[in-house]
Amino acid sequence: MSVTVSPASTISSASLPSEQASAEAWCPFALLTLFAGAVLWLLASSLLGLRDSLNFHNPALFAGEGYLSYGRVHAARNAAMLYGFGVPAALGLGLWLLCRLGRTQLAGPAVVFMGAIFWNIAVTLGVAAILCGSSTGFDGFEMPAWCAPILFVAYLMIGLCALLTFHQREPGPLYPSQWFVVGSLFWFPWIFSTAALLLLYVPARGVLQATTAWWYAQNFDTVFLGFAGLASAFYFIPKILGRPLHSHYQAALVFWTLALFGSWGGAPEGAPLPSWIISLGVVGTVLTAVPILTVATNFYQTVHRDVNTLDADPTLRFTYVGLIFWIIAGAQQIVSALPGVSSITGFTWFGAAQKELFHLGFFALTFFGALYYIVPRLLGLEQGAWCPKLLKGHFFLTFFGVLISYISLVVAGIGQGILLADGGNSFADVMRRTMFPVRCIMLGDLLVALGTILFLLNFAGVLAAAFRQCRAERKGRA
Amino acid sequence: MACSWTGFVLAPQLQLGGLTQTNTVVVGDALAQTYPLPQPGEAHAGAEIYRANGCAACHTEMVRPSALGSDLQRQWGLRRSLAEDYLFAQPVMLGAQRVGPDLANFGRRSDTNGIFLRLYDPGLITRGSVMPPYRFLFETRKIGLFPSPEALVLPDQDAPPVGYEIVPRPQARALAAYLLSLRQDGYLFEAPPPPLPKTNAVPTNAAPAAAKPAPK
Repeated sequence: MSVTVSPASTISSASLPSEQASAEAWCPFALLTLFAGAVLWLLASSLLGLRDSLNFHNPALFAGEGYLSYGRVHAARNAAMLYGFGVPAALGLGLWLLCRLGRTQLAGPAVVFMGAIFWNIAVTLGVAAILCGSSTGFDGFEMPAWCAPILFVAYLMIGLCALLTFHQREPGPLYPSQWFVVGSLFWFPWIFSTAALLLLYVPARGVLQATTAWWYAQNFDTVFLGFAGLASAFYFIPKILGRPLHSHYQAALVFWTLALFGSWGGAPEGAPLPSWIISLGVVGTVLTAVPILTVATNFYQTVHRDVNTLDADPTLRFTYVGLIFWIIAGAQQIVSALPGVSSITGFTWFGAAQKELFHLGFFALTFFGALYYIVPRLLGLEQGAWCPKLLKGHFFLTFFGVLISYISLVVAGIGQGILLADGGNSFADVMRRTMFPVRCIMLGDLLVALGTILFLLNFAGVLAAAFRQCRAERKGRA
Repeated sequence: MACSWTGFVLAPQLQLGGLTQTNTVVVGDALAQTYPLPQPGEAHAGAEIYRANGCAACHTEMVRPSALGSDLQRQWGLRRSLAEDYLFAQPVMLGAQRVGPDLANFGRRSDTNGIFLRLYDPGLITRGSVMPPYRFLFETRKIGLFPSPEALVLPDQDAPPVGYEIVPRPQARALAAYLLSLRQDGYLFEAPPPPLPKTNAVPTNAAPAAAKPAPK
C-alpha cells in the first residue's frame, strides 16, 4: 500500500504545482497539530485527575480556592479528556486513515489546521470557564453553552475536509476502517447538536434533560470513540502483521451491531423514567456482547499463531492491549447493566472504573499505538526515530497506571455496593471503609501522567530529528 | 443513529414532554395538593451554585425503589423518585455517582445552620468525611456593632481570631436555600404511600386516617 500522506521533509515545491505543494506542506502540520493538542490535553487531564485524587488524601487542601475545588476540577478533567483529547485524537486518526486507505491527499489541510487551532482554543477557554464555575452540570457534556458553537464550527471545518478526502479516494472496495471512520465522523455532530439543543439552548423539560445527557454520554463513548479506536485496530493489526483481516463480514457485523446496540442505554436502573426506557437500555447494552465477541473472534483468527508479535512492534503492543481493555470494559458494561448487579454497583466507583478503562485503557493506548506508526511517516523518518527506552517506559507506565486505577476503582465499587446494600451500614462508615482503594487511584493517575510526559519527550525528539533532516536536505540542495 | 435518537430522545419527549403539575394522593384527612411547586427564587440561584461547583460529581438526586438498593431503608426519601419531581428543576442534575449521600430529600433532614457548618467544615458534622470544605463561600470579617446572627458557631480549632466572625456569603445562602428546597414529599399515583399495617392498633407515626376503624 503506497503512502499518500506526504512527509514534510520530502516535499519539493519544484516537482509539484504550487497549490498541490502548498497543500502537501500543510498536511503534516494539520495532523501533528491535532495529535500534539490531543496528547497535551491528555496530560492536562491526568494532572487534573491527580488533583482530584488528592482530595481523598486531604479534602481541605484547596478549601479556599473555588477554581480548584473537587467538583470543578472533576468536570474540567472530564472536559479535557473528552474534548481536549478524545475528539481531536479521533479526528486525527480518522483523517490519516482516510488518506492512507483512500490513497489520496488530505483535502483542505489548511482548513483542518485552522479547525484544529480553533478547537484547541475553544477547549482551553471552556476548561478555564469550567474551573471558574461555568460547567453545564451534565456529566460528559460540561462545556459551557457559549463554547458549544465554536466547538461545533471547528469540528465541521475538520469533518467536512475529512468527508472531501473520503470523496476523492481512489475507486475500489472500502476497507472496514473506512466505515468506522466515516461512521464516527457523522456520529459526533449528530449527538453533539442534539445534546446542545436539548440541554443548553432549548432545554427539554424536567427529567428529559437527564435522558438526553445519558444518551449523549453513551453514544460519545461507545460509538464515537469506539468507532475511532476500532478503525485504528482494524487497520494496524493486519497491516503490521502483514496478513489480511480474517473476515470483512464479521467487521461489518461489528459496525452495524455496535451502531445499533451501543447507542442505546446510559440511564441507570432506578432512574425516575418510564420502565421501558431503562429496559430498552439494558437490552441494548447486553446485545453489545455481539460486537464484542465478534471483534475478539475476528482478531484472534487474524493474529492466530502470532501472539508472540506482542513485543515485535510498539504499535502492535499498544493496539493489542487497547483491544483487550476494550473487551474487558465492554464486558463490564454488560455485567453492570444486568438488573441484579446494577442494584449493587449502581452509583458506585464501579461505573467510574469502566469509564477509566475505556478512555485510558482502550482509546488512549490504541491512539498512542497509532501515533508510533503515523508520526515518523508524516515526518519522513524511519520508525526507529523513536527512543526505545522512552517508548518502553511510556508503555509500562501507562499500562500499570491504568491497571492500578482500574483495579482500585473496581475493588472500591464492589465493596461500596455490597456494604451499601445493607441499610444498617451508615453511608459515612461505608465510605471510610472503602477509602483505601480509592486513595490508590492517585498512584495510577501519577503513572499515566509520567507516561504521557515520556511520550511528549519522545515526540519532541522525533520532531527535532525531522527538523535536522529537513535542514540537512535544504543545505544539500543549496 | 436514527433508531437510538428516536428511542431515547424523541419517544421520551413525546411521552414526558407534556408532563404538568399533578395532585398528590390523598392520605387520611389531608387534602390533595398541587405537586410539584416551583422553586423559590433564592433556591433557583442556589441551583446555579450547585451546578457551578460540580456538586453532582459526588451527589445524586434520585431515590431508587426499595427493590434496587437501600435508599428507602436509609430514609433518603419517603418514596422512589418520579419524573414529576423534576418538573421545575433547571438544570436537572441527577448525578451518576455517590461519593456523598443522595440529596433528593436533603431539605427534609437538614437545616440552614447545619448546611453552613457542613459547607464550611464537613468534618464537624461527619467525622472522616471526604467532602472538601467550601470555605470560599464564606467570609471572615470584623465584628461590627453587633455580631451577625448568621455567624458560624465553630469549635476552637476552626474559630476565627478574636473580634472576627465567619459569615456565609450570598452564594452560600443561596446554596442552602436550594438544598432545603430539595423535598420529594408528595405521594403520587405512581408512588402511593405504603399500605397500612393490618392491625387495629394505632401506629404512632401513621396518618390520622389510620386511627379510624376499618369498615366492616
